[in-house]
Amino acid sequence: MSNEIDWSVFRVSLQVASLATVLCVLIGTPLAWWIARARPVLSATLSALALLPLVLPPVSVGYYLLYLLGRQSGVGSFLIDDLGIRLVFSWQGAGIAAAVASLPLYVRTAQAGFEQIPPSLLDVAATMSPPRTRFLRVVLPLAWPSLAAATLIALARSIGEFGATVVVAGSIPGRTRTVPAAIYDAVQGGQYGLANALALVTLAGGLVLIVALSAALRRARHA
Amino acid sequence: MSGSVLRADFWLSFPAFDLAFQQEMDRETVVIFGPSGSGKSVALRAIAGLLRPDAGRIEVDGRAVFDRAAGVDVPAHDRATAWVPQDLGLFPHLTVLENVMFGMSGDRAGRLARARGLLSLTGIEPLADRRPATISGGQAQRVALARAIARERPLLLLDEPFSALDEVIRESLRSELRRLCRELGRGAIFVTHDLREAYLLADRLVVMVNGRVLQSGAPEGPFLRPADRAVAELMGFRNLFRGRVLEVGPDSVTVDVAGRRWRCASWAERPVVGAAVEVGIRAERVALRRASEALLSSTNVLRGAAVQDDAYGLDHLLRFRVSGEGAPLEVQVDLPARPYRVLDVARQPDWLLELAPADLHVMPVTSAPGD
Repeated sequence: MSNEIDWSVFRVSLQVASLATVLCVLIGTPLAWWIARARPVLSATLSALALLPLVLPPVSVGYYLLYLLGRQSGVGSFLIDDLGIRLVFSWQGAGIAAAVASLPLYVRTAQAGFEQIPPSLLDVAATMSPPRTRFLRVVLPLAWPSLAAATLIALARSIGEFGATVVVAGSIPGRTRTVPAAIYDAVQGGQYGLANALALVTLAGGLVLIVALSAALRRARHA
Repeated sequence: MSGSVLRADFWLSFPAFDLAFQQEMDRETVVIFGPSGSGKSVALRAIAGLLRPDAGRIEVDGRAVFDRAAGVDVPAHDRATAWVPQDLGLFPHLTVLENVMFGMSGDRAGRLARARGLLSLTGIEPLADRRPATISGGQAQRVALARAIARERPLLLLDEPFSALDEVIRESLRSELRRLCRELGRGAIFVTHDLREAYLLADRLVVMVNGRVLQSGAPEGPFLRPADRAVAELMGFRNLFRGRVLEVGPDSVTVDVAGRRWRCASWAERPVVGAAVEVGIRAERVALRRASEALLSSTNVLRGAAVQDDAYGLDHLLRFRVSGEGAPLEVQVDLPARPYRVLDVARQPDWLLELAPADLHVMPVTSAPGD
């Protein structure tokens, strides 16, 4: 084994994290809005469900997803046999796993942004426009700093996701091996130089994300 | 166009109180007056479509927007109403002009022209490009009003929109609102707990307490002839006494109040002999006369001694202990500062209090908490 960095791990990590972030935004935004506006009981139930992946060990999340997306489950057999979509051991599968792991953080942050909007603004908007217009022209513009912060948090969490992704997608070089998986493999193989180099790159990337995140959070607070 | 702009009869239950609201109005200004927590805002929100009543029916401009039995519940934005909340609800991310254009329909050029017209009508044209955070409370009020008018709905719903403003700004806005409502020929329901504001704006006054409409009609009605003690107290009647009807004549009734015979010429509903009644007179309607034996024998004249004198700058609120035959009584007199000085009330403790029959108002006794 060489100590040279396999740069494909960054491409895979980026693909996985991007897919996970897009999924978080698409699923998490309406879910957070629903939680923020639903009646207390429903809101608490949804909120608890959305938080579940946060309290489970990532490996457990990965295990359940492996089962769900594999041929043993109805969903998996439908995807594989009827649609020809094989997600297990693919970077898309890793993306889904990272999305599930990141969703609680996205939903929590987005929900806080929605809850900050004064109710009377939403009421006024409700008397003047149908729900879609209201959401696009009032809710999103008022909550966007929080949504931006939520997106960055989800992105950061997805880049770092290891336990769930590695169970669902493994660590196939060039296909599903992400940066965290590569670091793990390097450490397991005794290649500390490689592990160190990879970890340094993640450290630099992390610092950039933190700066961006704190800027977004500052905006969210002053919105 | 004929027909009512609003026909409402609905019922809503809350843990703290039940709201029962009935109202039918034309294109006029109806003021709902009542203390905090009386259900005024709730009634308005139900009409606007922001709350769903438990039962009943609401018709706006001839169209049923809510009918529990028929399963009709038109969404708020499709109702022929425009609602202004207490905190105005201006969108902070939009300019004044964009706020006004928000709920308008039609093509952009048309909306822009109409919005600019409304800004000049409400006197805020120079603020078109400003954000709500950068304008004053009075200006924000005008923006909210312009935005509501821009919806071109036949019924405006205004929920204490002036409550956060200084008295001077309130005054100018009130007269402006009155002018706008008359010029535009729309119906408006205005919620307030300010008595003067209610009287000034109302074509019709609705008095609400504890979720119930206690009295509704021309503003002079509740002001001068309140239906019962609760309305009288709200309308600022400081003198309210229990009595029993002794005689009923064509123009007046004689009531026994604490062992005194008072002739009263105003009533909410015609009293019958022997009935227990409430008798009320406003503190500003009690006339103060210098003590003289000749006057003392005339109708409704009492001898009193001032026991308390509270100066409010422009007027004095005096409490008199009434002596003579009968049980002790206390009568309050509201006297403007000038006659107070001219009469030299401060130095003269003994006075005659004249209660003119036309100002003595008789109301039936209704069971109220604490009775």
